[in-house]
Amino acid sequence: MGVAAALAVLGALLGGAALTLAVEHAFVRIDQEAGPARHTELRHNLQLPNADRWLLPAGPVVALAGVALAMVVLPLGPGLIGRDLGIGLFYVIVVVDFVVLGLALAGWGANTPEGVEACYRIVAQLVAYVVPLGLAYVGVIMMARSLSTVVVVDAQRGLWFVVLQPLGFLLYVVTGLMQSYRAPFLEPFAASLGGGVLGVVGGWSALVWRVALAGVLLVVAAVGAVLYLGGSSGPWLPGWAWMLAKTYGLMALMLGLGRLVRPLSTAETLALSWKILIPLGLVNVLLVGGLILLGVGPGA
Amino acid sequence: MMAAFDILAFGACSFVAVAGALGMATTMSMFRSGIFLMASFIGVAGLFILLSADLIGLLQVMMYIGGFLVMILFMVLVMHDPGGAMMAGMELSPLERWFSKGLVPRDEATSAGQDDPASGEGRSHAGNRHEGHAMPHGEGRHGHARDHGGGAMPHGAHGGHAEHRHADHQHGDGGHGGMDMSMVTPVRPLAAWLAAAAGVVLVGMLFLRPAWPVTDAVPDPDSARRVGNLLMDKYMVAFEGAGFLILIGIFGAVLLARPSTHPDDPSRAAKAAVDAKPEAIRDDRLAPLAEAGGAPEPEHHGSHHGHEDHVG
Repeated sequence: MGVAAALAVLGALLGGAALTLAVEHAFVRIDQEAGPARHTELRHNLQLPNADRWLLPAGPVVALAGVALAMVVLPLGPGLIGRDLGIGLFYVIVVVDFVVLGLALAGWGANTPEGVEACYRIVAQLVAYVVPLGLAYVGVIMMARSLSTVVVVDAQRGLWFVVLQPLGFLLYVVTGLMQSYRAPFLEPFAASLGGGVLGVVGGWSALVWRVALAGVLLVVAAVGAVLYLGGSSGPWLPGWAWMLAKTYGLMALMLGLGRLVRPLSTAETLALSWKILIPLGLVNVLLVGGLILLGVGPGA
Repeated sequence: MMAAFDILAFGACSFVAVAGALGMATTMSMFRSGIFLMASFIGVAGLFILLSADLIGLLQVMMYIGGFLVMILFMVLVMHDPGGAMMAGMELSPLERWFSKGLVPRDEATSAGQDDPASGEGRSHAGNRHEGHAMPHGEGRHGHARDHGGGAMPHGAHGGHAEHRHADHQHGDGGHGGMDMSMVTPVRPLAAWLAAAAGVVLVGMLFLRPAWPVTDAVPDPDSARRVGNLLMDKYMVAFEGAGFLILIGIFGAVLLARPSTHPDDPSRAAKAAVDAKPEAIRDDRLAPLAEAGGAPEPEHHGSHHGHEDHVG
């Protein structure tokens, strides 16, 4: 049973990543930077003379493991969940960090100036997004009174949280783009770095990076659908169809909105995070607390 | 089935914890060292999860991934040879060699046939020569990092390099070269014996006190709620106090990072981050980019210069 669930989760990840890549390519035009969706050479391996031969191959494996672990707690439909953990949302935040670790490992391990620079930018971006992302989760957790993804979905049967917490949703969209390195925040994969980590991979590692980076976007969008769009709840259609539609709808919304803004450098990303997003997140927490005190929201 | 899985998971987690600690202490690369330490703590987090303390385990993973990545950046900032490329070519003990496997020693291009560790010199002698040689490499890296921060001055690496060299001379030229390499640290055997003794004492305590209380109470599945209640109730003063201390720390950091009011002090001059396009790199044996141009590779540059200085 455990093996079957693991295989099902892996299958969902692979299929979702393929679909994510297709959605992503719909939003990239020739004159724009593709970021993590850039072309990589899958047929040829790339030999780097000075690469660290442990860290470089470890990177994609660690990143893919993080994404696969995050898929476990995503409720793809009623009963369609790998494992309903009591601390599911916190678990997602933690295991997606393995993607950052993998990118840092590969960037440093490549031992080219671009790779090392990409490693620095990756870590800086982690510092930028991790606090506002947590604040975007907190509002939902306060209303649902649980960290479990299933309970969060159940709490939105009447009204989606995006209606009650539009500020939190906005915050989640922005930090989600940072977390998945998409359009305005693609500095770690910038073309001026030759694609960062993706510029120094080839063969199997390029394929694993492709799945892992598409998987991050998938996880971010799916968690956003769970947190703010009611997950698999909806009329007429079966739960999994609603979840699929919401996930890819949110993904398309994020990618499209991101393409409206010019790309931000890492320094600008950090400034945006600390000067705007964190105060906004604190305001959101206060507003949600006020709503709960006023008796608005589920279970009140 | 479940018991077998438990034993397997325990074995895997404790292997990661122990091997990570060993690798942390013996590898030649500072970056790897940090990663090994992180792996060790993640192994310990796995042990926590096996003990049904999943919240503590996940907290540990989160703290160590984020915190250690930032800490590693600071190590890279201040170390001479953060990648271990230079020390990997030296004479190593088997354990050190194993944990430094896959590091490419950087001596074939810049020190061809000059400072070969296997050329039959005495160990200490070879070590010393390497130390002298080591500095320019390290500075090359520093120059490189500096250059990225300071924008696209073609001779940024040069200037930074000279400055560093000067700073290093104060403690650098006396005998040991200021490079506190692990393999020449005289206290290392002592430290190893001390660690072994501590391990023996701990294992001995395990055997001498065999009556461990065993309870079959099921742990609270909603531990997060309980921890939260305790933090906001019983331990509120400590919790809020820690938050206040962190706030003060942030204020201090902002104060220190502020542009100086003493402009004559060069160390406190405001270093504006110029958002220039990073320079293209030559001589990295990769396929050329479309827009190759700009200054020569700073790292290469620095190391060449250092080398010449050293020879002259």
